Amino acid sequence: MYAQQVTFKWDLVSNYTREIMNRLLIVFLALAFSNVFAHVEHHIPNLGAKATEFKDDGKEAHKRPNMSHKDSLIMQRKMHPELLLHKRDRTLRQGVRGGRASLEKCVDCHTSVDKDGEHIPVNAPEQFCSTCHQKVGTSVDCFSCHRTTPAEEM
Amino acid sequence: MKALNRRDFIKNTTAVTAGVATIASGISLTTFAAEPKESEPVTKEKRWGMLIDVNKLTESNIEDMVNACQEENGWGNEVHSRAEQKPNWIKKVKVKDKSTGKIDTLPMMCQHCEQPPCVDVCPTNASMKREDGIVLVDKHLCIGCRYCMMACPYDARSFVHEDLNNQKTHMPRGKGTVESCTLCVHRVDKGGVPACAEVVDSDAVIFGDLYDANSKINQTLKKIQSTQIRADLNLNTGVRYSGI
Ligand code: HEC
Ligand code: HEC
Ligand code: HEC
Repeated sequence: MYAQQVTFKWDLVSNYTREIMNRLLIVFLALAFSNVFAHVEHHIPNLGAKATEFKDDGKEAHKRPNMSHKDSLIMQRKMHPELLLHKRDRTLRQGVRGGRASLEKCVDCHTSVDKDGEHIPVNAPEQFCSTCHQKVGTSVDCFSCHRTTPAEEM
Repeated sequence: MKALNRRDFIKNTTAVTAGVATIASGISLTTFAAEPKESEPVTKEKRWGMLIDVNKLTESNIEDMVNACQEENGWGNEVHSRAEQKPNWIKKVKVKDKSTGKIDTLPMMCQHCEQPPCVDVCPTNASMKREDGIVLVDKHLCIGCRYCMMACPYDARSFVHEDLNNQKTHMPRGKGTVESCTLCVHRVDKGGVPACAEVVDSDAVIFGDLYDANSKINQTLKKIQSTQIRADLNLNTGVRYSGI
């Protein structure tokens, strides 16, 4: 009789925890997904001079064939490290030039210009290639070698 | 509401993961296929080389070659490095024939060996030879150990000892890595000629494909006497000299 009562109580408890767990799960999933969607609409400050112009002209940057522009941007955001590394090896080791993913081009489009018309290094604090990285605590060493502003005009 | 149990949850997530994986692989396929106008990887069908006619070069021509290289690749402005630490992608050297005492002045840079000792000793695969014979440092992999510098019989490589900025767009350089003549690979891949060859008379320094029977370099090498420096090492250099 005593033992039965204990079991009964345990059942109650586990039902209760399960309920909580399920709710937590739902909350977790909701958060996870809302995060994804929130990021689609997120605003990136300092898109860069040419990139801003590009966008204002109504052109779809990073658009990939057979993919909506929105998805292409998500893809660019999530995959840019892989795309860059892939490009890096192909260019340096196999001599493959041109194409879309070159680091030189990222810098060209995504650098901002200060009020004196000077280019600001693309990896300076709050600039395009550092805002997100600051947030996620990634540090990128590429720019100890790679030029951080577009080439001077010839 | 239908309560999910653990097993269902795992089942569902697997389904979702599988879905994502399928989409993702589809994405990467289209990505790489759709990249606009990428050039093809270089092949073994070519071998880039250079023939330097020492008799046709004055000392000031050689200095012009060095300056052109500095200008093109952005080295030579290092301020904190000691003289022996400074980069030297190409330099003017004097060689003396021990028996006759004849002195020749010639431009010396990476000889782009077919059997490069610098590649053999590299622990990270950073020191490498492209299919078309150009010997490079893949600075992305270089850990700065400098074995290659010691292995090179031509003393062609140098090490960056200080932080740099304002590099050339086409020639990233940075502290802690080894560098050397790239045969101006960024120009060659676009059909161009190395900066040092461009700045002097086109008969004095001939750049081209050693394998191509119709190329000027191939035809000239068939006609005239030429040497490889330290030919005794059997490295089969891509850079050849005549007139010494
Ligand atoms: C130690 C110097 C160094 C560092 C650090 C470095 N690179 Fe490079 N990178 C180079 C050199 C040298 C080239 C060859 C340039 C050429 O041949 O045109 C290159 C070429 C590339 C290229 C192909 C050319 C282009 O503009 O697209 C990509 C992409 C690239 N690097 C990406 C990266 C990324 C991403 C990082 C950081 C994770 C990085 N690199 C860090 C030296 C460096
Ligand atoms: C032709 C100019 C151009 C070039 C070149 C370029 N971008 Fe962009 N990029 C843009 C524009 C414009 C946007 C904003 C698109 C929008 O919001 O419609 C953008 C957005 C992005 C985003 C944010 C996507 C998001 O919404 O979260 C990333 C990340 C990015 N670019 C990385 C890169 C990298 C890395 C490179 C080099 C491989 C590069 N870009 C080259 C123009 C460019
Ligand atoms: C929309 C936000 C965002 C922007 C803008 C952005 N990045 Fe990133 N980047 C990230 C995140 C997040 C990571 C970390 C990814 C990870 O760790 O898997 C990352 C990682 C990287 C890495 C790999 C670092 C490593 O060592 O693993 C490279 C290289 C890189 N970014 C280059 C760039 C360049 C170049 C630009 C500017 C053209 C840029 N990123 C702009 C979000 C961004």
